[in-house]
Amino acid sequence: MISIKKKMSMTSVWSRRLFILSFLLPTLALFALFTIYPLIRGLYLSFFDWSGGSETMNFIGVNNYKELFSDSIIPTAIKNDYFLIFWKVILIMLLATFFAVALTRLRLKEYGFYRIIFFFPNIISVVVIGVLWSFIYNPSLGFLNAFLSLFTKNPIEINWLGSPNLAIWSLLPPSVWAGIGFYMLLIIASILGIPNSLYEAASIDGANEWKQFTGVTLPLIWEQFKTSIIHIVITTLNGSFIIVKLMTDGGPDNQTQVLGYYLYQMGFKQYHLSYGATIGVLILVLSLITTLLINRILHRDTIEM
Amino acid sequence: MNVLSTKKPLLYLSKSIVRLILLLWTIIVIYPVLWTFLTSLKDNQQVMLGKPWDLPTLFRFGNYADVWSRAHFGDYFFNSIMVTVGSIAVSMILAATTAYILARYTFRGRGILYFIYVASMMIPTTLGLIPLFFLLSDLHLSNSLFGLMLVYSVGTIGILPFAIFFLVGFYKTLPRELEEAATIDGSSNYGIFFRIMLPLSKPGLVTVGIMNALTVWNEYIMATVLINDPEKYTVPVGIAIMQAEMQYRTEWGPLFAGLAISMIPVILMYVLYQRQITGGLTAGALKG
Amino acid sequence: MGKKFKKRAAWGMVFFIVLLALSGCSGAKETNTPPSTKPTDTPKVEESEKPAEEPKISGDFEIQYFVGGYGDAWWKEVIGEFQEKYPDLKIKQSAGSQINEQMKPRWIQGNPPDVVYIDGAGSNETQMVQDDQLMEITDWVKQANNVDGENLVSNLIAAPQDFGGKNYTIPLVFGSWGTFYDASLFEDKGWTVPQDWESFMATSEQIKASGINPYIHTGKYPYYIVGGLLNSGFVAENGDNPQILKDQEAAKEGSFNNDAVKKTLSKLVDMRDKGYFDNASYGMNHTDSQMLFLQHKDAMIPNGLWLENEMSKDVPAGFKFGFIPSVMQNAGGKFIAIPYTSNIAIAKKAKNPDAAKAFIEFIFTKQAAVRWAEITGALMNVKADLESSGASNVVKKAMNYFNGSDTIVAPVFKLNADLEQAQNDATIALLQKTITPDEWIDRMEKAAAKAR
Repeated sequence: MISIKKKMSMTSVWSRRLFILSFLLPTLALFALFTIYPLIRGLYLSFFDWSGGSETMNFIGVNNYKELFSDSIIPTAIKNDYFLIFWKVILIMLLATFFAVALTRLRLKEYGFYRIIFFFPNIISVVVIGVLWSFIYNPSLGFLNAFLSLFTKNPIEINWLGSPNLAIWSLLPPSVWAGIGFYMLLIIASILGIPNSLYEAASIDGANEWKQFTGVTLPLIWEQFKTSIIHIVITTLNGSFIIVKLMTDGGPDNQTQVLGYYLYQMGFKQYHLSYGATIGVLILVLSLITTLLINRILHRDTIEM
Repeated sequence: MNVLSTKKPLLYLSKSIVRLILLLWTIIVIYPVLWTFLTSLKDNQQVMLGKPWDLPTLFRFGNYADVWSRAHFGDYFFNSIMVTVGSIAVSMILAATTAYILARYTFRGRGILYFIYVASMMIPTTLGLIPLFFLLSDLHLSNSLFGLMLVYSVGTIGILPFAIFFLVGFYKTLPRELEEAATIDGSSNYGIFFRIMLPLSKPGLVTVGIMNALTVWNEYIMATVLINDPEKYTVPVGIAIMQAEMQYRTEWGPLFAGLAISMIPVILMYVLYQRQITGGLTAGALKG
Repeated sequence: MGKKFKKRAAWGMVFFIVLLALSGCSGAKETNTPPSTKPTDTPKVEESEKPAEEPKISGDFEIQYFVGGYGDAWWKEVIGEFQEKYPDLKIKQSAGSQINEQMKPRWIQGNPPDVVYIDGAGSNETQMVQDDQLMEITDWVKQANNVDGENLVSNLIAAPQDFGGKNYTIPLVFGSWGTFYDASLFEDKGWTVPQDWESFMATSEQIKASGINPYIHTGKYPYYIVGGLLNSGFVAENGDNPQILKDQEAAKEGSFNNDAVKKTLSKLVDMRDKGYFDNASYGMNHTDSQMLFLQHKDAMIPNGLWLENEMSKDVPAGFKFGFIPSVMQNAGGKFIAIPYTSNIAIAKKAKNPDAAKAFIEFIFTKQAAVRWAEITGALMNVKADLESSGASNVVKKAMNYFNGSDTIVAPVFKLNADLEQAQNDATIALLQKTITPDEWIDRMEKAAAKAR
């Protein structure tokens, strides 16, 4: 590199700059227009009182932010968001890792078959998944109660989405169901990247499957692990909105309320669009903080192969 | 080999247990889909009174004709495919160029630029919704699929920053030697990128392209607000609207027929291209 | 990532803060009004004051209407006839079940349709008036005649809603909440149809003893039980004075904290504790709950007059709908009918207000009302002779209640969106025992204070 640099004349410095700019600017310009500008408009809105319907809006300073702290639904929504994040991370990572390890390390001949099947829910539209699972949970027509009733004397009539204690738990299975395949493939990819010689060495040292997993697999897929967890966090904070909208509308009595849906409810159903924007800012801040924290918690020295 | 053979019965047992669990999950994944097809052939009476797993008493293929004539799935699919392909193509070109520079060149502001792209993945989609609506109408692109495609490519749904984040990681894993050799040979910067780096990064592009295509394919809220004409609906919007309308009429059979219709082409495509899809995902993620 | 990431994070934060500050500056320069067209309403009002000369009706004309339980057949029919009358008009129909959400941006932008029928999820006329989206029609509506030459207002069952002395909307659909019961089941089992709260509770006990759920409601949309049960209780316990509902609409202090509300809530709690509510109610949407009612799994359901038409395809043979306006009244008390209306209005920024007014004059006729009843099975807000028409029996029976002296018909009212949401949430919470009646009252008073 150094020798190349020395040879650079003024023109080549300029051509290098031109090259960099020509590759960066189109992207940056469009990105600024379609992402940064709307973001700023959203931030700007959060300092106003605007129903979202009228043609005028009133500047109210930080009142929306004060409101955020006195609004009793916000803590519920945050709690539910982190409830979903926590359990989704645990369940998805646990199952996805288990499947990935089982499919790769046990050298099953059905590997290809399972890989196809398990990824399948990921290609179905979330809207379809929401509608489908609402019917699975339906207390009188649904599959779940009918199935459970096979094992009991009296028919089971559990109201999965309607009871205050169960509703938020009931949102987990569809999210996990729809999410596992994707993360499983990412983990499979990392595992396939681990040189076989490491496993051979470990097994000569007498390490059993579990020891090989903790000693070889886990450290080497850790980066992928971390990325996957962060991806789950971001998509949950940003995306659980749809599953909530399709399945519960945040009910009963806000027991399944999440920030994403509350933003939508306030902005579009209760006519406080500017307050909705304020909730959006809160989501952004929480995502940033959570991501930084997870980065720190899961930090390990990366092991180079 | 000796070590392994002594543990064989144990390995065999654990393999069977693992197989059982895998089989169980297979059923959990497939059954809801089968159920959709079963229910799509039933009438209200049977949905109401029968068991969910019963076979349809009389196969009501009329449900399909009914929903097909009312909802324009042909249009929805065409629109969704156009928007998905377009936005992936645009975002990939924009992301690949930027990611290459961020991975290979040092210049002032690189760190900040990278951070801004990465952090913007966390912008809630809905926050940008109304501003984007106004932006599109200022650009005379409201209620247009091209406008929606642009929003997907570079708007707040975050596929561009994700592609940049992913591809920066990917380019860093590619060996530098090729570029250096090409520089000495007198290739221009553009030549190096388009003739060497871009082809080399194909696995990465495929992986991130598939991941983003899934996001775009499923996107619902932007499409609902930005598109008004029924002939411009995408698949998720079409299904959501169909669901709302079926609710007013209690038509479970046609509703499930609609869900089934929306799944059939996806399943077909998936079966045909599953090697590219799941294989592509694993190949690129290997390096990224 | 590690240290580098932290450094970048710090820089990025700085960048964001700078952007924020910049946006504040640029924002201040920006006008606070999104792009808009020039106001057009003032001269038009004068024009319409001399209705003798008919203005020429032509150009573009757009109607927005929500399609729900009533379907769109009536709309297509009247719009078709309207088109025949004015062949020069280019009519655009923006309709559907999601139309409110889809058209919203256009309203914000100042590019609304000419006429809007306000109904369904995501619509709220009080909010539209607050947002200055609708044309004030106070003077026009007073003297407007329909195409048959009859005075428009004097033909109406419910008068246009009053917004501080002004009118912006005209009710197009008129109906009432109430309790529907499974008449054939009641006959079979020899249960007495409730006339008041005591008999309602006694009958419910009988029903429960026979192994059937007495009462189901639409838990996912709690306004069904609020309209069908709670509101009539408030009026009955308020000495039959419906003013309490108007006070609640105005979010007056104490309108949710009084004896009438307390007594109503304790009745609800009594019903809950005796186990008369079907547990399946919660989280269920309207059609699912209505299906259970039709399948004789539940004997009673709070609903609106559209029910029979909405479920027409799925009514089992031999099923008969029974309707009573209210069950909350104490022994000897009058029935309380809680009305609902869906309104039609002209946009303030209508580009073709003449056509909009002509359209309203065109549809508020007796003939159109009969067609509405025949097509939808519900009532249009025009006094018309329905006995001979194809309106459903429930609708005819409800009409008899409204015209009888045993029923008090409350005025049309609509809570603001925040209060409505709070009431929905609190009512479900009360029914699920997660809050007490006092907490219900507390929540509502707080919400009302915020709305003031």
